[in-house]
Amino acid sequence: MRNTKKFIASAAAIATLIGLAACGNGGGLSATVDTDTANAKGEVVFWGWGNGIKETIAAFEKANPNITVKYSSTGTGADTATALQNAIAAGKGAPDVVMLEDATVPQFVVDGSVVDLSQFGADKLKDDFAAGPWAKMLQEGKPYALPIDSSPEVFFYNKAVFDKAGVDGEAIKTWDDYYEAAKKVRALGGDYYIANSIDYQPFLAQVWQAGSQPFKVNGENITIDMNDEGIQKYIALQQKLIDEDLINPKITNWTDDWYRSLGDGTTASLTIGAWMPTDLETGAAAGKGNWRVAQLPQWNEGDEASSEDGGSALAITSQSKNTAAAYKFAEFLTHGDGAKVMADHGTFPATTKLLEDKDFQSKKNEYFGGQQVNKVLVEAAERKVSAFQYLPYNPYAQSKYGDDVVPAFQGKKTLKDAIAAYAKTLADYGTDQGYTVTVK
Amino acid sequence: MSSATTASLSYEAREKAAKRAERARQKRIARDEAAERKRAAKSGFANVNNPRRSMLLTIVSAIFAVYCLFPFVYLIINATKTQADFTSTFGLGFGKTFALWDNIVTVFTYQDGIFGRWLLNTLLYVVAGAGGATLLAIMGGYALAKFRFPGRKLVFAVIIGAISVPGIALAVPQFLLFAKLNLTNTPWAMIVPSLISPFGLYLMWIFSEQAVPQELLEAARVDGASELRTFWQISLPLLAPGIVTTALFTIVATWNNYFLPLIMLKEDSWYPLTIGLNQWKDQASTAGGTAIQNLVITGSLITIIPLVIAFLCLQKYWQSGLAAGAVKE
Amino acid sequence: MSDQTIHAPAGTAHSPEVRVNKHKADWRGWKFMWPFAVVFVFVFIVPILYTIYISFFQKKMIGGTKFVGVANYVRLFHDPNFWSSVGRVAMFTVVQVPIMLFLAAAMALALDSMKLHGTRFFRISTFLPYAVPAVVSTMIWSFMYGAKYGLVASINDLFGTNFDVLVPSVLLASIGNIVTWEFTGYNMLIFYSSLSTIPHSLYEAASIDGASEWDIVRKIKLPELKGSLAITVIFSIIGSFQLFNEPSIMQDMVPGNAITTYYTPNMYAYNLSFTGSQSNYAAALAITMAVITMVIAYIVQLKSMKEQMK
Repeated sequence: MRNTKKFIASAAAIATLIGLAACGNGGGLSATVDTDTANAKGEVVFWGWGNGIKETIAAFEKANPNITVKYSSTGTGADTATALQNAIAAGKGAPDVVMLEDATVPQFVVDGSVVDLSQFGADKLKDDFAAGPWAKMLQEGKPYALPIDSSPEVFFYNKAVFDKAGVDGEAIKTWDDYYEAAKKVRALGGDYYIANSIDYQPFLAQVWQAGSQPFKVNGENITIDMNDEGIQKYIALQQKLIDEDLINPKITNWTDDWYRSLGDGTTASLTIGAWMPTDLETGAAAGKGNWRVAQLPQWNEGDEASSEDGGSALAITSQSKNTAAAYKFAEFLTHGDGAKVMADHGTFPATTKLLEDKDFQSKKNEYFGGQQVNKVLVEAAERKVSAFQYLPYNPYAQSKYGDDVVPAFQGKKTLKDAIAAYAKTLADYGTDQGYTVTVK
Repeated sequence: MSSATTASLSYEAREKAAKRAERARQKRIARDEAAERKRAAKSGFANVNNPRRSMLLTIVSAIFAVYCLFPFVYLIINATKTQADFTSTFGLGFGKTFALWDNIVTVFTYQDGIFGRWLLNTLLYVVAGAGGATLLAIMGGYALAKFRFPGRKLVFAVIIGAISVPGIALAVPQFLLFAKLNLTNTPWAMIVPSLISPFGLYLMWIFSEQAVPQELLEAARVDGASELRTFWQISLPLLAPGIVTTALFTIVATWNNYFLPLIMLKEDSWYPLTIGLNQWKDQASTAGGTAIQNLVITGSLITIIPLVIAFLCLQKYWQSGLAAGAVKE
Repeated sequence: MSDQTIHAPAGTAHSPEVRVNKHKADWRGWKFMWPFAVVFVFVFIVPILYTIYISFFQKKMIGGTKFVGVANYVRLFHDPNFWSSVGRVAMFTVVQVPIMLFLAAAMALALDSMKLHGTRFFRISTFLPYAVPAVVSTMIWSFMYGAKYGLVASINDLFGTNFDVLVPSVLLASIGNIVTWEFTGYNMLIFYSSLSTIPHSLYEAASIDGASEWDIVRKIKLPELKGSLAITVIFSIIGSFQLFNEPSIMQDMVPGNAITTYYTPNMYAYNLSFTGSQSNYAAALAITMAVITMVIAYIVQLKSMKEQMK
């Protein structure tokens, strides 16, 4: 009799297993997308992170009493993307609205996990957003997410250190100027460097600004070109900085050491996204009053090329059963009145209306010595950006950047070789995933 | 194995035999103790009743204790710092302002006081998860020690094999299984996996073998008591010291559980402390995030305190520990 | 059942007659074993079977899921990243586990000797590190290791030296130190509780025979430790083969990406599965690692453990 029980138990286990196997393969597309936003009601489940979200939700629920938003703080962008991936694999459990890092949007579009927002008329919002962030939302011309913030790459520098080194930060207009400044800062001795080794996101942003387009994705075809003119210029400059010991290879972005070195000025400048002020104020409080922000140095004097570094957006999952209400909320937070609430809590906005707001631009920031920081950032956000695409397997690309490229900043190999190896790694992976990859 | 003889004895005879054995044992212990006291007094040999302490050994151990405790000094010092001091002053020196109380208050009020919720969640997981794990380990260990059931010899080999599979790789299948049963995002996702403590099972196995005399079980069985009743009324009290040790291990394991809840729970109101604190830590490495390392440090310190209290409370039982239960012959 | 029997003090030597009925299977044990077994099957066995199952497939972003037989295993066999990570944890195990277990045993013997001033203090101070979550302990130690702002920096300033414990050549030792710090107390407790089971009468007898304290340690206590050593060795081998938390938390803190995405097999599995969407390959890796771990654990200790448990 007990043998029978045992048999039943194992049979049940096997049945579960087969069930599991079956659900592991499904993508989980919802049948219908409800676009009737005017009559939207019910509950919207929302995953995200960052400041000001609770306040924005409160404002939304006040304006839309028929809709409630159930928010869960899901950690970093990587954690949230992983959670979404798991929910997709399980075929259920995904939220209605999800916050994604801009660079990960394409991968969720490819597997059909997020819905095309032009169904809700989002394509008509194009002109309301700054060009940089909007461009990142598009896949084959259609928007799949709404940008929360714009994140133009800008140049932050420590004026106190620059003064000591005899460098005028305002006068750094080109990367050649930057290189000269790097030498002067290094001449201060000790641990003073103009920058530390370059992270994945700033790397992409800077080759983007140099006019490079390393990834071209067209359906199942990917072209990886890490050898074009823009990237060559970038490599030449960085290699010179590495060879002459002008950037600090020992400090990695986001570490405790990094914040400390930003606070005491030994890392004297940053080329990073426009969202950095909040991180600086709280992470490197000791640097208060010393920091300034300026436009990114240009490759040719007089150019006004910009690029995007980071940024996040809201997408609606294909598992959502309440897409109308979901869109209404996503629109409110990114484009409607909620965007203002977000901006009040430190988000650097993506809508042109908020960017051009006089009060917003004239706000003085004490951390930056009373500089009108937003004015500079807005100017950067409104500059032109060239075409750029992320790989549909961005998280992989990001993790392998560390393996392949970062050692070059330690002088273990040349940046040129490192980037060539990196291109090959990315191509091999793409091929393995079923793409037709061309390497140039 | 003289099972035939034992079986033929009457209940009374066996009860008498058990009592006789018990009396003999008591006498033996008394004799042991008396003799040991005498000997200890004479030779100065260290024992519980008459320890002669060694300065040298204490100093050597103290060096090791410094190694163990030193990192806590860092934690305590940094819990007194403001965020600004944390990133600008030396790690083992105090900051410009003493902000311990402010930090504690902020930890409990930040984000509408969610830390308190996390603390309660963790307590729930510990009570249900570690409590359940201890119970399962006791029962399983007892079964392994006291019964020769089919499959017994395989149990431990299977367990060792299963825990050799990297837990990371199991996380996704576990998630899919739990999702299928609608258990993700519920406390069950946290409690059920915590119920398994292979080490606790091993401990209770060894302990049961030593602490529960077979005679007592036989006597109870003859008396007509069911196996379960025998277990609850006779064996469990004898196992108390071992249970405490097992509980200590399972409590710590549940309290510090990190990876699985990270995958299973996506609702911040169900997070345990480890996930919540890590999220706070990550704010410092998020674009546009507010760095709050001072709260992370203070929160970590607060997280450890209940475990220290648990240890201090439990060590009273545990001190007499296994020794009380087991006399090997 | 008389009260007297229920409250009888523990410790009656159990009779050698554990009855085994050779003819009819004795299923009573399952009455107590089943709750553990059921949960175990649910939490471990089913997911493991599923992992084995998916290890024979490959899922592509373009083209979906396909049965590929043992292709994942063949590929793993030729994957230098995998073998370098296995080599690394093997080396880690060979060096770190003996050090940790030696420290744990030494501390357990010291505590058990009753010769320490303040035994209670030392007991809790040794155990306390185990109570710290890995995230926090790695954070603390990483601060100590900092060659620019950390404790190492201060030491360098003080003595004019130029240590850097985060360079690739000593990094593994630095991680080993964190693991040793975290788990010595855990193992100490296991050793200590097994020492507590030795009856005092044994010491007495030994002492009457003129044995020195050292003799007692050698002839009574160390043999007693052997049993728990078997289990701690097995658990430590499994633990270090699955090394993950410490290196992955330190990954972002160590300059120059000395900790790669395939630093340990578990980190490799994590990155394959979570950043590379290569769960099938990660599953093959997990199964292979389990087999390697079991073989090693078996060779090293499982036999002696089996003996101990009869």
